[in-house]
Amino acid sequence: MTASTESKTYRRYHLQTQPMPELTPVPPRFRVRVKRHKLIALVVREMIETRGDLRVSLSRPCVYGVFSRPVGGLWPREENCVGCLRCTVQYPEMVRVEPNPARSRLAAPGLAPDQVDTILYEARTGRVPVRGAGYRGRFGGTSWDGMWLDMSEIVRPTRDGIHGRETISTAVEIGGKLPTLTFDDAGQPVDPAPPLRWVELPFVLDGTGLADTTPVAAILAETAFRAGTLALLPARFADPGSMTGDQLAAVIPSGETDGALHGADGDPPLLELDLLDPADRQRGALRRAESPGAILVWRVPLGTDLAPLITEGAEVIHVVATIEQQLAPDLPRQLRAMHEALVEAGLRDRVTLIGSVGVRQAEHAAKAIACGLDLVALDLPLWLALQADLGSDPPRFPQRMSLEWGTGRLQNLVASWRDQLLEVLGAMGLREVRRLRGELGRTIFQDEMEREAFGEIAGWEPTA
Amino acid sequence: MTADSRDPVIRKHIHALHDGFDAWPGGSHGSPPAMGDARWTAPLILSTWEQAAGRPATLETGTGASGGGFDALAFRFAPEGDRADPAQVALGIPLNRRGDGPSIEIPIPWYGAGMSYGSVSEEVMLARAMAAKEWGTFTSTGEGGYPDVLVPYARHVITQVATGMFGIREETIQRARIIEIKYAQGAKPGLGGHLLGDKATAAVAAMRESVPWVSLFSPFPFHSVYSVEDHRKHIDWLRSVSPGSLISVKVSTPTDVDMVAVGSYYAGAHILHVDGSYGGTGAAPEIAKKNIAMPIELALPRVHRFLAEEGIRDELVVLASGGIRSADDVAKAIALGADGCVLGTVELVALGCTRCSNCERGRGCPFGLTTTDPELSQLVDPWWGAERISNLYASFERRLRRIVAGLGLASIRDLRGRTDLLVYERGTHEPR
Repeated sequence: MTASTESKTYRRYHLQTQPMPELTPVPPRFRVRVKRHKLIALVVREMIETRGDLRVSLSRPCVYGVFSRPVGGLWPREENCVGCLRCTVQYPEMVRVEPNPARSRLAAPGLAPDQVDTILYEARTGRVPVRGAGYRGRFGGTSWDGMWLDMSEIVRPTRDGIHGRETISTAVEIGGKLPTLTFDDAGQPVDPAPPLRWVELPFVLDGTGLADTTPVAAILAETAFRAGTLALLPARFADPGSMTGDQLAAVIPSGETDGALHGADGDPPLLELDLLDPADRQRGALRRAESPGAILVWRVPLGTDLAPLITEGAEVIHVVATIEQQLAPDLPRQLRAMHEALVEAGLRDRVTLIGSVGVRQAEHAAKAIACGLDLVALDLPLWLALQADLGSDPPRFPQRMSLEWGTGRLQNLVASWRDQLLEVLGAMGLREVRRLRGELGRTIFQDEMEREAFGEIAGWEPTA
Repeated sequence: MTADSRDPVIRKHIHALHDGFDAWPGGSHGSPPAMGDARWTAPLILSTWEQAAGRPATLETGTGASGGGFDALAFRFAPEGDRADPAQVALGIPLNRRGDGPSIEIPIPWYGAGMSYGSVSEEVMLARAMAAKEWGTFTSTGEGGYPDVLVPYARHVITQVATGMFGIREETIQRARIIEIKYAQGAKPGLGGHLLGDKATAAVAAMRESVPWVSLFSPFPFHSVYSVEDHRKHIDWLRSVSPGSLISVKVSTPTDVDMVAVGSYYAGAHILHVDGSYGGTGAAPEIAKKNIAMPIELALPRVHRFLAEEGIRDELVVLASGGIRSADDVAKAIALGADGCVLGTVELVALGCTRCSNCERGRGCPFGLTTTDPELSQLVDPWWGAERISNLYASFERRLRRIVAGLGLASIRDLRGRTDLLVYERGTHEPR
């Protein structure tokens, strides 16, 4: 819902989810190998020992139905196996449960197969992944793994625990801000406020890398519409006539100047100018003068000195990381430095920062915002949720993919990520996601904490 | 209940399971290829089974493969001539250093963590209580109420008061020598407890005074506690209900964990139980386990130093939890600044847990641990379980004695905060 409609009638933001199974089967997590002759021998022996008590001799160890076919362990249902290992613990000489090597094909750049599986689960169910037992992974790590978010022992956003999470806001404003307000003698503001609009989520769907995949563009547009956020699409795809135009941001490539959209319900149109080439920079200021009513997004490489751009008139900046930058160990620090430099220059509150910084999991989004971004742009997780074959260039999507299926999958993914963001915000005691932005005092960087905790211990050295 | 009185189907599976727990650590079947993770490697799980069986540990028992924290720390043992006699090492720690309230000392520097009725079965709770009694230490009810079967073990059972207030009654508070206020849990800091509907059976719901088969999400935090002053009133309330009980405060590890520690001291706590973010849980959002609050290894030095700087370190007992898997971890946590530790997951591993992370679903644990299913619960005989945990404790005790003696110390208390006796070896560890 946009700001203008919000003002007409209040409604609590809610993103509907529904089960949306995969179109392409996902390999089961485990392979279950049974030595059939030993199994048959065991059953025969037990039948003799129990004098034909079938209830005992045919009783099976699995509670998840892996041996639930009429022939039991002779033909296991591997898709039901959760890796509890009870069968192999009980019958080590007979059953062997192994990680399924076929799962390796799920891996994607920067994501292990299990992490991709999590994205598939989120897209399939729309749920927050909840599991028993503690954390199973490595102690910290690099990049996003090398930082933690804070929690609050007693401060609550709503004083209502989990039942108050629905009142936590994930809405974000996109647009410039005046550094100060000046009033005339009549008490009216002198300077017009820059164009501004709301989105309900701090995620935008970035389809600028799409080639000729109009069906995917339509899915992004429809998802953005339903979720109350934005889809960034190449201007040539962004046809308001065929798609839900008010949730689109047209990305105008280098050298082109066309592509204005009309915002619905009085919202300002949103144009993103591809300024990745420094030679194009002046286009931003020129277009600003030509389009006073539009929200202009300056798309620039991560690492660009942003202060001069803001001085030149940039109100919304979309920083884009290369794949190398996305996978760099110090990515969070780069974002932190970018944010802190703008704070130091007194410019941070004048600009909205969107980042295409390799956000691949829900936790990355929360951490990227804590490091200073207002919004994160998603691409790879979207393609994974749509079961794209990333091995082909451009990514190939399932042939049976429909608008409804694709939209349902992305809606589920976004809903799951929003709910996970609410978990984080609730734990941190934050009432709205805007308060998470640049909340560096509530971040915990592994190397800094290790220096404090282990710095005096012989052999400890700072991580390179 | 004796094994013979059980249903033949249950008997068959118990027999096979126990055979398996004995067979796997022996190595004749190799290592289960799908077992283990970075924190709990297959050798560590199998070694825990081996210790729980009462056999000398032949497998790696000290560390996991997480690449940091406890797994990157080793001990700087003293030269042979400077080592103490393990048999003479004192492992006991006091649980009250404040001078008010009863004096309680436990002979080993750990007790059992809170696991609620509902998250685990009554049989498991009973096994843990029996082991605690045998060793003169404690176990905790968790936040699911106080089953009657634990009453005979009341001197060794901590009553936990958590935000859901499930099953909290005057008598359950009054019978406890230690009352534990759970403000937060490391695995899901800031989120409150989760018990998914499938595990909220009629019996569990009756204990919690809730509705069967409806998920229970504990609030967060206590709605009566939003300041240190409120915290003080909260403790005063419990002390007025049970003046003879010690008060333990369980908190997580935010950036200001040092301030939380000081606040707990001034609120009147006897024990500060710091639960790190890599701790166990019956159910928690994955995003919370990995990403919110810091691991215990990083929090302990901060707490220890700040309390020392405030001049109150010797008045507050600091216990560490959240990923304590071995006697080596206990010693390392103490060297980083704790007085002792609180054990949770490792006790379940001793009972056969494979760390498969399916505790939250459906009927719960297929090994009869984190389940409330009446059939699966029978897989754990409380007497068998108590023996397994006792055996594990005995193994921990032996190893801890060797570590402390090897460092040239006479008492575990002398190890507290001695980071100079540690060495950081990322990815390696002290050979046993």
